[in-house]
Amino acid sequence: MFTTKSFIKKNKIGNFLKNVREHYIRDDIVCGFSSCYSCQNIQNNQNIGCSKDNFSSNHVNRCKLVEGNHYLILDTNVVLNQMDVLEDNLFGNVIILHTVLNEVKHRSLPIFKRLMSIIDNPSRHFYVFTNDHHKDTFIHQEDQELINDYNDRCIRKACTWYHRHLPKEKFVFLTEDNESKRIALEENIMTFSMSEYVHNLSDKHLVEDKLAKVSSSFPFTGKDIYQAHMSLVELLEGIRGGKLYQGTFKASRENFLEGYINVDGFDDPIIVQGREGLNRAVDGDIVAVALFEKEHWTSPTEIILEDEGVVEENIDELVEKEKEIKKAIKKKGDIKPTGKVVGVIRRKWRQYCGILEGGIEGVYQLFVPSNRSIPKIRIETRQAEFLKTQKLIVTIDSWPQNSRYPHGHFVRALGVIGHQDTENEVVLLEHDVPHSQFSEEVLRCLPKLPWVITEEDESRRVDLRHITICSVDPPGCTDIDDALHCRIIDDNKLEVGVHIADVSHFIRPGTAIDLEAASRATTVYLVNKRIDMVPELLSSNLCSLRGGEERFAFSCIWEMDYEANILSTKFHKSIIKSKSAMTYEEAQLIIDDKTKNDDIAFGLRGLNKLAKILKTRRLEKGALVLASPEVKIHMDSETMEPLEVEVKKLFETNSMVEEFMLLANISVAEKILQDFPDCAMLRRHPTPPSTNFDPLVKAGKHLGFDIQIDSGKKLAVSLDQAVSDSNPYLNTMLRILATRCMLQAVYFPSGTLQKSDFFHYGLAVPLYTHFTSPIRRYADIIVHRLLAVSCGADSTYPDLLDKHKSSDLCQNLNYRNRMAQYAGRASVAFNTHLFFKGKIQDEEGYVLFVKKNALQILLPKYGLECTLYLSKKGDESLFVYDEEEQTQKAGNVVFHAFDQVTVRVSLDSKNIQHEKFVLQLVYPYIEGFSVKPLIESEGADKSNMEQQTMDYQDKCNEQVSTMKKNKRKTQSNNEKRKQKKKV
Amino acid sequence: MSRKKELISNIGLRLDGRRAGELRRIRCKLGVFSEPDGSAYIEQGLTKVLAAVYGPHQVRGGRSKAQHDSAIVNCQFSMAVFSTGERKRRPRGDRKSTEMSIHLHQALVAAIKVELYPWTQIDVYVEVLHADGGIYPACVNAATLALIDAGIPLKEYVCACTASLANDDIPMIDISHQEEVMGGPTLTVAALPMSKKVVLLEMSQRFHVDHLPKVLKTALQGCVDIKNILDVTVSNNVKEIGSSTRWGNMT
Amino acid sequence: MPQKIQMRLASNRVDTSVVINRDIPAIYTPGQIISNQNEFLRGHGTYEENGQLKASVAGVREKVDILISVRPLKSRYHGKVGDVVVGRIIEVQQKRWKVNTNSILDSVLLISSVNLPGGELRRRSAEDEHMMRKYLQEGDLISAEVQSVYSDGSLSLHTRSLKYGKLGQGVLVKVFPSLIKISKTHFHNLSIGVSLILGTNGFIWICPIINNTEENVGGFVQNLEEVVPKSIRATMARIRNCILALAQSKVMLFDSSITYAYEESTKYTLAELLLPEVMADVALSTQQKLILSETE
Repeated sequence: MFTTKSFIKKNKIGNFLKNVREHYIRDDIVCGFSSCYSCQNIQNNQNIGCSKDNFSSNHVNRCKLVEGNHYLILDTNVVLNQMDVLEDNLFGNVIILHTVLNEVKHRSLPIFKRLMSIIDNPSRHFYVFTNDHHKDTFIHQEDQELINDYNDRCIRKACTWYHRHLPKEKFVFLTEDNESKRIALEENIMTFSMSEYVHNLSDKHLVEDKLAKVSSSFPFTGKDIYQAHMSLVELLEGIRGGKLYQGTFKASRENFLEGYINVDGFDDPIIVQGREGLNRAVDGDIVAVALFEKEHWTSPTEIILEDEGVVEENIDELVEKEKEIKKAIKKKGDIKPTGKVVGVIRRKWRQYCGILEGGIEGVYQLFVPSNRSIPKIRIETRQAEFLKTQKLIVTIDSWPQNSRYPHGHFVRALGVIGHQDTENEVVLLEHDVPHSQFSEEVLRCLPKLPWVITEEDESRRVDLRHITICSVDPPGCTDIDDALHCRIIDDNKLEVGVHIADVSHFIRPGTAIDLEAASRATTVYLVNKRIDMVPELLSSNLCSLRGGEERFAFSCIWEMDYEANILSTKFHKSIIKSKSAMTYEEAQLIIDDKTKNDDIAFGLRGLNKLAKILKTRRLEKGALVLASPEVKIHMDSETMEPLEVEVKKLFETNSMVEEFMLLANISVAEKILQDFPDCAMLRRHPTPPSTNFDPLVKAGKHLGFDIQIDSGKKLAVSLDQAVSDSNPYLNTMLRILATRCMLQAVYFPSGTLQKSDFFHYGLAVPLYTHFTSPIRRYADIIVHRLLAVSCGADSTYPDLLDKHKSSDLCQNLNYRNRMAQYAGRASVAFNTHLFFKGKIQDEEGYVLFVKKNALQILLPKYGLECTLYLSKKGDESLFVYDEEEQTQKAGNVVFHAFDQVTVRVSLDSKNIQHEKFVLQLVYPYIEGFSVKPLIESEGADKSNMEQQTMDYQDKCNEQVSTMKKNKRKTQSNNEKRKQKKKV
Repeated sequence: MSRKKELISNIGLRLDGRRAGELRRIRCKLGVFSEPDGSAYIEQGLTKVLAAVYGPHQVRGGRSKAQHDSAIVNCQFSMAVFSTGERKRRPRGDRKSTEMSIHLHQALVAAIKVELYPWTQIDVYVEVLHADGGIYPACVNAATLALIDAGIPLKEYVCACTASLANDDIPMIDISHQEEVMGGPTLTVAALPMSKKVVLLEMSQRFHVDHLPKVLKTALQGCVDIKNILDVTVSNNVKEIGSSTRWGNMT
Repeated sequence: MPQKIQMRLASNRVDTSVVINRDIPAIYTPGQIISNQNEFLRGHGTYEENGQLKASVAGVREKVDILISVRPLKSRYHGKVGDVVVGRIIEVQQKRWKVNTNSILDSVLLISSVNLPGGELRRRSAEDEHMMRKYLQEGDLISAEVQSVYSDGSLSLHTRSLKYGKLGQGVLVKVFPSLIKISKTHFHNLSIGVSLILGTNGFIWICPIINNTEENVGGFVQNLEEVVPKSIRATMARIRNCILALAQSKVMLFDSSITYAYEESTKYTLAELLLPEVMADVALSTQQKLILSETE
C-alpha cells in the first residue's frame, strides 16, 4: 500500500518538549497530468481519485518570456503577496506544492482560504502536488538548516522533478525572492519574478494593476520620511522589559496626524501625534509604543486636520500641519500619556473601499478610503480615467520608510460613484454581508417544481387546512413566515395557534443550502434591495405562508381561557391553508368594522383581545416599551430614487402579532431548554451596566423626572410617569434615549452560560428564543430543528448537539445580525441623503442634547439626528451655555433638552464620499442667527442664505453628518448600541 | 467557522501522509524475553508496547481468589515515565492506568479460553515505552501476541483499533497522538475480528449517534487488518522456531 | 575485579536465527478453521464452534487417528508419566511437598513417594511428618519422575530411585520445555567431567560428576562442603552458556547438541560466550554439525 519509511521530526514547544511525528512517504502520488502514462498507472492501480483532468488543454498560459504553453509552479511569497493577481482568471494550469500550501496556511489564514477557494474551483486548474509525501521529491531537513531554506529546497526539488518527469512540458517557477531565484536558475529551473512574468504576459489586461508593490517599485526614492521600525525581536524584548507597550492603534477620524493606542493597564489611551508619533501605523494595527517622559506629554488636540496632500514628494504641507498640531497643543493643560510608535507587531491591513483623489495625472494615483481613519493609499494603474468615476477596492501592500503614503494595489471596481447599486455594494461589502448569487450547488438543493404535497407528508403532519388561519404582515411582504388563528373550542376555552413556515423541512442539515444559510445567518434588508438568506423559491414561495395556498407549517397551539391564561401548549408540524394574507392596516380595518362577522373577523378580534391582556401582563412584569424612529422610504419604482421618507405607522394589529410571536418564542424556548439543557439555541438580553443609563438619568433630572434604573420594572414605571402635557413628544424622546442605553441581545447555546444569565432584559422574561421567522433568520431554523426533535417529528444530527459547534454558530449569527442591522441603517442613511439632494426644507425637530457649542436635533419625520452649530470657532457666540442646567440662552430664547424647534435642512455635497446635512435654525427666531422661514425668504434671501450656509459649512466640514458619525460611534462602541426591538 | 483544523487534506492525505483507511506501520515480534512464558513487542507507528505473560500457573497468595471453573486473568498496565512528551509522575497506579488495566482485562478475557485452566492464574503485564496515540489498541495487540507466544489457548485473536472522524465526514482509522489532540472524539474498539464480535467499545467524548455505524465499521475493518498483520508475524514465528528446532519433538 | 560490560542499541541486535529450510508443516493460528467436518475428535489446542474445528493456539497439527490436536511450540510443561523432571520445593504441607515443575498447576511429592533415610521399607510415622522440613525445605531443588497425572492435570512425583533426589552443588538453567528433546535417558555424564539432568520440564541441572555412588541414602543429603575444583566450575559455566546460546537460537537440547556446542565454544573464552554474536555463532555451528551427523 505505501512505503513505510518513517522519519523523525523534532518540534520544540515552549518547555522544550521533543515531539516525534511520523511522516509517511508514498509512491502513489501522481503528477496530475492525465497524459502522464506512469502516473496514470498508479492512479488506476490505486483506484484513487477519479481520472478527472487536473490541467486543461484549453487554458494556455501565454507569456513573452516563455515559448508556448507552460505550467506554473509558485513560490510561497508569490502566493502570499500576489493573491489578487492569482485570483485573476488569466492564471491557470498552476501547480501548488504542498510545501507552499502548508507555509501559506501557517503564515496567513485569510490568504490560505482564498487560495483554497481557487484550488476548489475546477475551472481554474490549480493542482495540489503533495511533494512532501512523494517518494522522489521528499528530502530530509539538514541539521542547522533553517525551515525557510528547507522549504525553498523542497520547492526547487519538486520543480526539478516535474521537469524530469515530464520533459515535454515546460514548467515555470515564479518567485519574489531574489536569492531563491538565483539558486533556482543555477539549478536550471526556468524562473521569473512575478512582476517580470506579469509584465510580459501576452494578454495582461488589467492584471498589472493588481500587482502588489512589495519592493519599492515606485520611482519615488527620496529621503526617508519616517523613522525606521525596530525589529520584531527588539520589540518583543522591549515589551517584555517594560520599556515598550503593546496596543491596538486607533487613528483619529478628525485629525490624520493623531491616533490613540489602547494599552492594557493604562486608564487613558496613549496619544501619538505627528509623523514621528504615528510612524506608518494604520488603524487597527497592533503596534509597539514607546512612552515619552512625562514633561513631553500632551493632550488631544481636538482640532481637525485633513490630509490634503496629493503628491508623493511634497511633505512641506505635512510639516506645516505638524506645526499646527504643536500650536494647538500648547493651549491646553490637560495632559495625557503620549508616546510614539516604534514598530508594528501585526498589520491588520484589509481591503478598503473608496475613490481616487481627483486631479492627478499619470499611472500613479492616490486612493482615498471612505473610512477616514485609513490613510490615503498610493496605487499604480493604467486605467485611472475610468477608475476616477468608480468606487473601488484597494489593498495595502507595504509602507516603505521613504514613502509618504502606503503602497497598495487596485483589487476591483464596484461601480459608478453615487449610483444606487454601487452604494448598495459598498454597504454590503463594508458590513461583510455575503451577497453573491446562490451557487449552483445550493440551487440544486431546492425542491423540484411543481411542488406537491404527498400522502406521506400528509400522514406525518396534522391537517389544519380546515381551520381559518390568516397572516398579518407589513405591506409588500413576500416572505410571510407566520400565520395565526383563534377559535372557540369550549364555553370558556379558546384555541390559539401560531403557525410558522416550516423551513427546516426544505433545508436539511449539512446540505449546501444549509451551510450557505448558516453562513448568511439572516436576510438583509436594504432600502430597495433584499439579500435573501435562502433562495427566492423558498423565501417567497414554498415557505411563504401565502393566502389560499397549502403550505407546511410548524404550529404552536395553546388552549387559553378568556383571560389569556395558557391551559396547555402543544407543538406539531402541520399543513395549513391561510385564508387570507393581510397587511396590518387591512387587519385593523376588519377588526374595527363592526359589520364584518365572518371567521376571519372573529379570529382577529379574539386575538386582538387576548393580545391586549398579554401585553398588559407583560408590561406589569417590567417589560420595556422602547422607541426608535424607524422610517420607511418610498422609492420611485422607475428611477429608484427616494420619493418620500416617512416614519413607519403602527397599528394595534402590529402589537397583536408581536404579542403572539413573543408568546410562541417563550413557549418554544421553555420546551427546547427542557429537552436540550446543553445545546438549546436561546436568545438573551443582558442587563445593561448602570453607567450606560447616565445620559438618560441626567436628561431626566434636568426635566424634573426621576428615572429609576435599578431594575427593568422600575425603569419601565418611571418612563411611564415621565409625561409632560406641554410637550407630548417628550416621552418618546426619553424612550429613544433609553433605547440607546441597552446592550445588544445575543444568541447563545444554553450549555455555555449559567441559567441566571439567560434573562431577557428588554422583554423581562427568563427565557427567550427566536422561532417565528425561519425564512429570514438562521437561528430560527436551528430552533425549529431542536423543536422537531422534541416533538418527535425529526431526528437529531451531530452538529445540532455539539455545544462548541453551536457556540461557533451563535457567534456567526450574532455577528451577521449586527452587521445586517448596520447595513440596513447605512442604506437608510444613504437614501435619506439621496432624498435631500438638492432640496432645502424646513422641518420640525426636537432638541435631543444641549452641547457646549451645538444643539443635537432629532428630526422624527426622517429619523435623522443632526447637529445645529451655535457658534463658529473663534467667533463670539450669541449663546450663553449653562452647564448646570444644560441650557443655551440667547437673548430671551432658552433651549432646553427636548424643546421643539424648526430647522432648515440641506445637504452639503462638496465631498462626494462624505455628504453631510447642514441645519439652520428657523424657529424660534433669533436675530443674527436664525434664518427666515423658507416660504418668506425664498428668492429674497437666497444669496444671504447661501452665504450663511457657507459659513456654517466651514465648521460643518469638520464634522461628519451626525447620522454617519453616530453610526460609526456605535460601531466602535457596541455597548452603547441601541437595541433594535424587533421580534 | 470550524475551529478544528483539517485532519485530512482535500487531496485525501492525513497529516502524516496516510490515507483515511490506512493503518500506521505495524512491526511486531514474539518471544522477546526468555523469563516469562510468553512475551511480545509491538510498534504501531511510534507507539511502542511490550507485553509479558506469565502462566497459567497456580494462583499465588491466598487460594481464595482461585476459581473452580476458570483461570483468573490478571492484567497490569503501566507506562514508562519517559513514554510521553512530558514526563509522567509514576508509571502505574493512577486512575488512567487502573482503567486501562480493567479494559485490557475485559478484552483479553473474551478471547482466552479460561475455562480450560481452573484454579490457575494468567498474568499479563504491558508496558508502554512510547505513547503516540492508540495506546490501548497497541496494548491489546501486544497482549494477544504474548498470549499466543505463551501457548495459551485463545478463541481467536483479539485486536483493537481506534477510529475517528476527519472533517466531520470521513471515517479515519488508527488515530495518532497528533490527530487525537486536534481531532474530535476517538472511538476505540476491541474485537474478535474473525467472528466480528465487539468486546470493548470506548469513546473519548460524546459524538453523534449518526456517525457511529460508519466509524465503528471502519474501526472493525482496522481490527481485521491488524489481525492479518499479526497473523503473518505469528506464523512466521512458528515457522522460525519450528525449523530451528527442526520440528523437535513433533511427530 | 574490573569487568567489561557489553551494552548495545536495539538497532545493533544480532540475528540469532539458525533457521534451516525444511519442509514446513501446516501451521495453524488461533481461530483458524482446521476442519469443517465433524468427523474428527478434538484434541489439545483445538475447540469446536458452530460445527467447525478451530485451532486455539499457534502451532502445528498433530493427528492420531481421528484425534486432531494443535501443539504450540512453546507452552508450560505438560507432564506425562515417566518424565524426568527437575523441580523446586515451594511449600511443605502435611504429608506432601508442593513442587514447582513449570507446569500449569503445582506438582505434588507425597511423603509416601520418597525414599526416606533408613531404607526403602521403612514405615512412615508421624514423626517423619514432623521431620519433613528436615529432608526438603522450601527452595530445595530435586530431580524426580512423574508418577501419575491427576484429573486436573497436576502431577504427582516420586523419587523412589537412586538417581532422583535432592540436588546439591550445581547450576540450574531454565529453558522452554519444548526445547528439551525427549530421549531414553535424561541423565548424562559428559566426558568433560560434568553431569547433566535435562528435565523434560525445561529445567536443566548442571553439576560435577558425583562418584560416590556408594552413598545410597535416597538423595536427601547435600554435600556442600566438598570443594569443586575451579576447572570443573569453569566447564559447568561453559556448558550453561552453551545451553543458553542454543536455547536462544531455539536449537533442541540433548546430549549431542550440548556436546557439539561445547566443542564449538572452546575457541571462545567463557566471558565471550555471553556476546550475542558468539552465541549465534555457536548455535549455528552446532546446528550445522547436527545436520551433518544426521546425514552421515
